[in-house]
Amino acid sequence: MTFSDEEILETLRMVELETLDVRTTTLGINLLDCADPDLESTCEKVYAKIVHHGKDLVRVADSIAADYGVPIVNKRIAVTPISMVAAASGAYDLVPLARAMDAAAEEIGVDFIGGFSAYVYKGFSRSDEALFRSIPEALEVTKRVCASVALGTTKAGINMDAVAQYSELVLETARRTASTGGLGCAKLVCFMNPVEDNPFVAGAHMGIGEPETVINVGVSGPGAVRSALERLGPDTDLLAVYETIKRTAFKITRVGELVGREAARRMNTTFGIVDVSLAPTPAVGDSIADILELIGVEKAGAPGTTAALAMLTDAVKKGGAMASSCMGGLSGAFIPVSEDQGMIDAVAAGALSLAKLEAMTAVCSVGLDMVAVPGNTSAATLTGIIADELAIGMVNTKTTAVRIIPVPGKGPGEMVEWGGLLGTAIVQDPGAFSCELLHSRGGRIPAPLQSYKN
Amino acid sequence: MPRRFITAEDIRRAGSGELVVEPETVVTPQALEAAQASGVVLKGVNGTAYEQPSPDRGPDAVRAQHSLPLMPEPEGDEGGGTGVMVVVVGRNRTGVLAEITAVIAENGGNVRDVSQRSVEDYFHLVLTVGLEHAGQFKALKETLDCLGGDQDFVARVMHERVFRYMHRV
Repeated sequence: MTFSDEEILETLRMVELETLDVRTTTLGINLLDCADPDLESTCEKVYAKIVHHGKDLVRVADSIAADYGVPIVNKRIAVTPISMVAAASGAYDLVPLARAMDAAAEEIGVDFIGGFSAYVYKGFSRSDEALFRSIPEALEVTKRVCASVALGTTKAGINMDAVAQYSELVLETARRTASTGGLGCAKLVCFMNPVEDNPFVAGAHMGIGEPETVINVGVSGPGAVRSALERLGPDTDLLAVYETIKRTAFKITRVGELVGREAARRMNTTFGIVDVSLAPTPAVGDSIADILELIGVEKAGAPGTTAALAMLTDAVKKGGAMASSCMGGLSGAFIPVSEDQGMIDAVAAGALSLAKLEAMTAVCSVGLDMVAVPGNTSAATLTGIIADELAIGMVNTKTTAVRIIPVPGKGPGEMVEWGGLLGTAIVQDPGAFSCELLHSRGGRIPAPLQSYKN
Repeated sequence: MPRRFITAEDIRRAGSGELVVEPETVVTPQALEAAQASGVVLKGVNGTAYEQPSPDRGPDAVRAQHSLPLMPEPEGDEGGGTGVMVVVVGRNRTGVLAEITAVIAENGGNVRDVSQRSVEDYFHLVLTVGLEHAGQFKALKETLDCLGGDQDFVARVMHERVFRYMHRV
């Protein structure tokens, strides 16, 4: 097999200069068999099972990275929603389970474990209620545990009681982690139409239709797409831009497919999906906003941004779909504001408002992600922001999520530094008008007409 | 189905004596501690000493181990062995090519193809190297990664399979 010099150099350039990497290799572990009438025994089983299955994950991922010369940045664990695992125990306080997950993650050397989760899109079980109540303390006392809750689906509508409760949880979590700028909220996300094979935290968890264990892979590569568009230059039309993005996404996804197959083989388990998401990092150049600007808007958030993002997301999906038969997870483009230097710049320049961001989420693959709001934002306003976002997902039969951080002690325009991959955020203004009545009414928004497809 | 776990509570219930652990059962660390403290002896089904089993990844995993190797790979070399791409960029000087190829030969690599270009003082070199077995890759990569230096040259080594996946359907 021979390759041209151009092909060889292109691959090398993508890995060495354009930060192409496999962003995460996530091992999903089903914990339903850990259910026990006694919470302490449940914790023992959860710890034992995660360590039993996950102890080889880091070694295997590192060996693949070494053998193929492609970096695998994160190794993570996703587990069955804990509210289901804990239900048999009848416990009200599920923090011990979060501690068991945290200890297991530490033991096997992964930085995050997802699945402190519940599905409450139509109502609460006793165990769901216990999980909700435990989230703020769980996020305060653990380092690695991520929590996610499903508050709606297109088939079920939106559980507004749960949205209202979730808003209170977010405020409580921010208050408990005030010393780190409310960082506990970065490990907490809510979903419309949750993705049950999502390998990316904070929303990673293992849905109930999944196998006993599974390897899911998330690839990234905004840097590679950005460079390809830079080389293409401004003199081509949008179809050429689209084609360039699609081809680059194909190549990125193929690397994910290779790593996924190999990881499953070496772990003796099932290969689930490749999540083809352009996931930015605070590193310069690894930015979705930069791509949008290369497509043709002056700053992310300017008129035309939603159209450019819609095109980007679709081109990524088409390239990814050709490259892997098992494209899954969220797949598209992430727009986590604090984690993308171009987005931070756009907010600082006044180009990207919360309202525009919401419009963009209608066409991107996730939702309002890593958005900072003032610490004194009311629960009602949070409910409104979250319900708006969930409604977009409900009506468009797509996944949307909200990861919002009310930064204690900060007001609109102020900056907060979270450091590392979580980056820097400028606190955004949610506006002066309230939705107190909507918040206090409670109840459900029933399933939309779009859901009646039987 | 054999029981999935043995917990510390199960050990307390057993009291003392022996507890037979089936091969699929996971014994929690707390149960192991409790067993040691209370003198309960854990035994395998054949009367052998208990050993933590290798993980049971589930029914799909068993099928996957048969079906995964059958998934079509991108078109490639049918000759067997492992293909490796070596790309070297650096300052041209006497003996640089010999130095690199010597290291490849020492690590069992057979150079199948060479392409080199020079611009003024600099060169870039692409080598396609065949290895007899995959186990030789790591040593070759580690040696070449350490070769050269800031003012001299940099060598990068990647598995051929990455290029096949990226550039061939």
